[in-house]
Amino acid sequence: MSPPHNPDAEYFPVQCLSVDEVEKFLNELVEQLCTSIHVTPSMSKVLLYENKWAVQEVLWKYNEDADKLFVASRMKTLHPVSVKTKRDKFVCPVCVGPVAEELGITSLACGHCYCDNCWRCHFENKIKQGVSTELSCMALNCELLVPEEIVLSTVNKPILRKKYQQFAFREYIKSHPLLRFCPGANCTAVIKSKESLAKKAICTQCETSFCFKCGNDYHAPTDCATIKKWITKCADDSETSNYIAANTKDCPKCNIFIEKNGGCNHMQCLSCKFDFCWMCMGDWKAHGTEYYDCSKYRENPQNGSESARAREALKKYLHYYERWENHSKSLQLEKQTLDKIKERINSKVMTSKGTWIDWQYLLDSAALLAKCRYTLQYTYPYAYYMDNGPKKELFEYQQAKLEAEIENLSWKIERAETTDRGDLENQMDIAEKRRATMLQDFFHI
Amino acid sequence: MNNIATQRIKREFKEVIKSEELAKCSIKVDLVGDSYTELKGEIAGPPDTPYEGGIFLLEIKVPETYPFNPPKVRFMTKIWHPNISSVTGAICLDILKDQWAAAMTLRTVLLSLQALMAAAEPDDPQDAVVAKQYKEYPEIFAKTASHWTNVYAGGIICS
Repeated sequence: MSPPHNPDAEYFPVQCLSVDEVEKFLNELVEQLCTSIHVTPSMSKVLLYENKWAVQEVLWKYNEDADKLFVASRMKTLHPVSVKTKRDKFVCPVCVGPVAEELGITSLACGHCYCDNCWRCHFENKIKQGVSTELSCMALNCELLVPEEIVLSTVNKPILRKKYQQFAFREYIKSHPLLRFCPGANCTAVIKSKESLAKKAICTQCETSFCFKCGNDYHAPTDCATIKKWITKCADDSETSNYIAANTKDCPKCNIFIEKNGGCNHMQCLSCKFDFCWMCMGDWKAHGTEYYDCSKYRENPQNGSESARAREALKKYLHYYERWENHSKSLQLEKQTLDKIKERINSKVMTSKGTWIDWQYLLDSAALLAKCRYTLQYTYPYAYYMDNGPKKELFEYQQAKLEAEIENLSWKIERAETTDRGDLENQMDIAEKRRATMLQDFFHI
Repeated sequence: MNNIATQRIKREFKEVIKSEELAKCSIKVDLVGDSYTELKGEIAGPPDTPYEGGIFLLEIKVPETYPFNPPKVRFMTKIWHPNISSVTGAICLDILKDQWAAAMTLRTVLLSLQALMAAAEPDDPQDAVVAKQYKEYPEIFAKTASHWTNVYAGGIICS
């Protein structure tokens, strides 16, 4: 159930931060830790990075057992190597040469000593490979992390220093569960939320919407793991499916080629005037009022040989894929549909059929249609991975209802007149309610 | 080649020559040409394995950035092993990739390879065909590996 204070189950408050604001936010956390326990800012960054920036948890673990925390955070080892060699007898194990007078010898808490020149070469080499926060000691199997201040005081090439700081900043954000880079192209914003949930976040800078948890396109009611599986599967099988789900279909009655160039699945053949459903190619009359069962896939119970089973599996996948792809294409045509609506509004206003304001509801309905269709598209991967049973039946029942209402809405929008505004708004309400019910029942995060 | 790399290789070369493994004829390193950028390694097949009795030659290329990056190592002798390509001799071993540490040496690399020959990691295969046989038909695998050792690495056929 959705919380009482906000009826929209999908509501997800996020903040859109600039790079400077994020830096400030992270620095505050670092400072907070520094003042509570006695560590340098650079050490406290390692601690926070290793503990997902949970300051309270770090403090609690510190009070419990500080050594354990430092070991778990790769800052200390249980058995450090004792260094007793005098400086003049020291041979750096990496360059195996005598260490020049002016060069320092440095070790982390593990006690593995190397000359500063080798440390610098090590850092530079790793930074060039894109390593920053994961920079570790040079000894075999030693996982100790090198704190930022040692890296910055050793590396002196400005380009590499800058690279290191940029990479580290990226890693800090990636390791913080409540921060995420906006996945929008060329967008530098960082999105901050209060909880790490698979909900819809919208970047206020570039208006990209995405799932906050996984960063993919928003995918309710499917969960993050399932959508990832589905997208990978579609990418694998795309060749076959692309071939099958070609862009044209034949009219089931007169066999003329039909290309779908608008959003609605209720098709009418221009040549023979036959009304049919684009999904199942069946007569539309069979769908309309009673029961819309076209989104439901009927599994063939007689599965005999292995090849028949493989065929059946492919058929099942294609059934879902085709519908997924169909809705995705419909959504891609959204802009075209919107332009068409605007054009229509213009022509209506010009011919004095209502004023511009009278027609604005059409734009709202188009937006709602896109929203509903989007959710519908993402119900297919969910259904594909569901086990057979009453739950799936209920899901597919609701899915079919949602689909029917969406097609109704789409049909009505395309043929709207000022006179049936009430009817259309009623249809909008029905479609949105169907969508909300579906999410409420099946999208648990 | 930079100073550190040359200095290191010279030193490691001495280390291998002085090592007890060389005395036991189990590992060996030779220079190829005058530069220290290319070397030739040799490992004896570990006892109680299908590789016993064989001598396996390795191509070792030392990168400019050595020892901060690992050396590039490849089997020149054909070998039947899940983690080594039966065609190219390419090796799948973590320390030659992301687990490399600057403090490792040629000697440790050769010894690790010898250990890999004794204990394969079929779940992280380089050669899928070999790995499948290793897991499903271990006896046929042992015979094939032993035969290859005999034909290509001059070993005897284990019964």
